[in-house]
Amino acid sequence: MDLFFAVIVLAVLLAVTVGIGVFLRWAQNRPRRGDPAESVDPRRLGAESLGDAATLLQFSTEFCARCPGVHRTLADVAAQRPGVLHLDVDLTHRPDIAKHFQVLQTPTTLILDRHGVVRTRFGGTPGRDVIELELSRVAEEIPHA
Amino acid sequence: MPDPSPRHIDVRGPRFVAGITAVLLLLDVFLGLLAVNTTSSFGIADPFAARVAEPAFLLLALIAALFLWGVLSPRTAPWGVLYRRVVQPRLRPATEFEDPRPPRFAQGVGLVVTVIGLLLHLIGVPWALPIAAAAAFVAAFLNAVFGLCLGCQLYLVLQRVGIVGRPSAAA
Repeated sequence: MDLFFAVIVLAVLLAVTVGIGVFLRWAQNRPRRGDPAESVDPRRLGAESLGDAATLLQFSTEFCARCPGVHRTLADVAAQRPGVLHLDVDLTHRPDIAKHFQVLQTPTTLILDRHGVVRTRFGGTPGRDVIELELSRVAEEIPHA
Repeated sequence: MPDPSPRHIDVRGPRFVAGITAVLLLLDVFLGLLAVNTTSSFGIADPFAARVAEPAFLLLALIAALFLWGVLSPRTAPWGVLYRRVVQPRLRPATEFEDPRPPRFAQGVGLVVTVIGLLLHLIGVPWALPIAAAAAFVAAFLNAVFGLCLGCQLYLVLQRVGIVGRPSAAA
């Protein structure tokens, strides 16, 4: 292959890689709505109870470079908001939980309302402001009858 | 769980290593592309020996050896040592720390990808070398520039398939 085509292929490879990176970063800050019919049992996750207003349910593994950073952010958010609880569940030894919640990447963060219903789902490392916004939406919503 | 426990490492270290690895892999893709469909074999008659003598093969073998080093002994791997001795002292003190196991696991993923490329190249599969190098480059570049660790994300997928991981502790 001559030099010109090699440089073209290299440029395309770089552009595609940057595109993938930008897309993945965008997708991480995009909340997805949960299934309103399903509620989470805290005892199954090894917790006593859920937060009074909302729960930040984080899934981590031992092999997760970004999980400690997300843990710090979520713990900080939970500490500043009354009634909000942060749970960090290590899936390394619990493939059953990973399968149940269809977790294929860590960190994955679920925002549960006060009934334990999954309202929002984040894959990856969402920004703090995005979490705060979703949390306000879930926690301050008028409760359903 | 407090952060600066002695087991934890500065998060910028693995990203620095990934940056150097990405540059080397991009160079290797370039060398590999130049060698595709060329008949010049440096005057060597034996096609197998000619494939081994290709610069792209030699560079990827070196990169694979560095991946292996990173898996076996992360503390002594050259780029990590370079980071701690030369780069880290010139930066602000580290504020983010992480478990060293995820980057080590990712080095293993990089090793597997590059070794597959090397073996396919040796048996004469065209394009195998630049494609394997390109795949490894994408992962290293995303880690260095965007902080995304594809190798780490792969862990749960592999666990689901049953390749890694231990049986669940509780029912």
